[in-house]
Amino acid sequence: MRGPPPRHPDDQREELPAVEGIIADAAEMSPGDRVVYPNQGVCAVVGVEEKDIAGQKLVLVRMRREEDGATVMVPKNKVPSVGLRRVASGEQMEGVFHYLAAQFDDPELDWKVRHRDNADRLIAGGVLGVAEVVKGLHSLSRLRPLPTKEREQYDNARHLLVHEVAVSLGVPPGLAEDYVDFALMPPAGVKFDLKPPPKPVLLPSRPKKRRPVAEEGEADDLGLGELGIDLGEIDAAIAGAAGVPGVEGVEAVAGDGAEPEAEGVEGEKAEEAEAEAPDADEDLPAALPRREKPARAAKPEKAPRKAPAEKPAREPKKAEKPARPEKPARKPAPAKKPAPARKAAPAAKKAAAKPAAKRGGKKK
Amino acid sequence: MIRIVTLDAIDPGDMAFLTATLYRAFGLGTEFAGEKHAPREAETKDGRLDAVKLLKEADPVRTFADDKVLYLTAAPLALQPGPLGEPPCWGFADYGKERAVVSTARFPARGVTETSIENWRRRLARETSHAIGHLWDLHHCYDAKCAMHPSWSQSLPANPEMDLCSFCREKSERKIRLAKT
Repeated sequence: MRGPPPRHPDDQREELPAVEGIIADAAEMSPGDRVVYPNQGVCAVVGVEEKDIAGQKLVLVRMRREEDGATVMVPKNKVPSVGLRRVASGEQMEGVFHYLAAQFDDPELDWKVRHRDNADRLIAGGVLGVAEVVKGLHSLSRLRPLPTKEREQYDNARHLLVHEVAVSLGVPPGLAEDYVDFALMPPAGVKFDLKPPPKPVLLPSRPKKRRPVAEEGEADDLGLGELGIDLGEIDAAIAGAAGVPGVEGVEAVAGDGAEPEAEGVEGEKAEEAEAEAPDADEDLPAALPRREKPARAAKPEKAPRKAPAEKPAREPKKAEKPARPEKPARKPAPAKKPAPARKAAPAAKKAAAKPAAKRGGKKK
Repeated sequence: MIRIVTLDAIDPGDMAFLTATLYRAFGLGTEFAGEKHAPREAETKDGRLDAVKLLKEADPVRTFADDKVLYLTAAPLALQPGPLGEPPCWGFADYGKERAVVSTARFPARGVTETSIENWRRRLARETSHAIGHLWDLHHCYDAKCAMHPSWSQSLPANPEMDLCSFCREKSERKIRLAKT
């Protein structure tokens, strides 16, 4: 069996089926019901109450977490959006066990994608999503030890799964954990008669993070012109020396970063890849003409624009700067100081006396 | 405090080894709290003891807050079958609560040689550490060298380690530090 499928593309987002047992309306809940709060575990509904918070009257659903008795309160109108769901049924739970016992040979190797997907599955994937996280990380742990963050995620997911199994099957959590691990790590010689496992959870895609698009003028204006650097000349020199257009170099960097090899370096590279790859792909056509533009041609246009913005900023600096000339004035001061002046105010001018002493030392 | 109650006779040397190991593993005082009889209600038709019922029906031991009670028995334990069948039972613990039971029925023979006795004691120490770990909210661990690795796992060596891995050790220490007493 292959691992969980990749996320859906944006166009299919609205076609995703809702997770089974999800509570779409607070009216479906009544006191005494057992529900599962994503990432928190099984809670018992206590009731609905009205509270005055920050001058607003809110209708809240009060729940008690069964594990430790902690109180969880959710605004009634937010019940559909927080992902509350009913405790998995026996049939669902059977599917989960058949999924856990099935072969799994394809863990996601990009830790960043994996971690994000797992976090989403824990929140929006229902009991099968939690089982997917446990199984995915467990199978990965057979290849290599999990990093700390994922080890914690694995432990949390296992905790949630064990408690939901316990509540659903009506057994103590210790026994539920044995059931889970009996499926995950069967003893030697044990073979299960497995049914086809349920379909993996489909997650909605996250919106891509895009950098704010800078205005053309801002992007060009790096202040290189003021430093006397001409990008056009440099590009021409590089192209002449290497015989390779600059744009290909950009592509090569993005390509390297997109396929990280080692776990340690993976993070940085993946971040770069995520940040750079879309830019490289999307902004490339725009970047090319920008580079070809001679920097000098843009300079005269920007100069008047920049001037009003910079001047007020610089003026106060100029006003501050005159303070500096005072420093050199200090240096001659100790030299000028006559000996009787030290006697008149010895305590106040101790600091001034020190340089004089140093100077004497240097001379010696 | 960890209080050990035996449901069958046990060698004093084994008990001394066990108390010392549990003290090292959890940093908690460990003592032998006497011998009791296994409750009849826990007996099953096939001569085993139902682990869940045993913990419910076992004679109580005087305890204080956060004390853990460990029952040791030589009788084989039974568990209620799950969706995929009955998992093999080396011990059972009330997760995060007070009581646990460990059976020596599945251990390799104790033998009479020093090596076999040493191996038997180490296995006993491992299974008890595993059960006490569950009482301190530890889940099963994927690391085969950790005492919290499932006892029936195929990746478990013949003479498994009796220590916790660093993650489980830190977690148990954190739980113990946050305990009421």
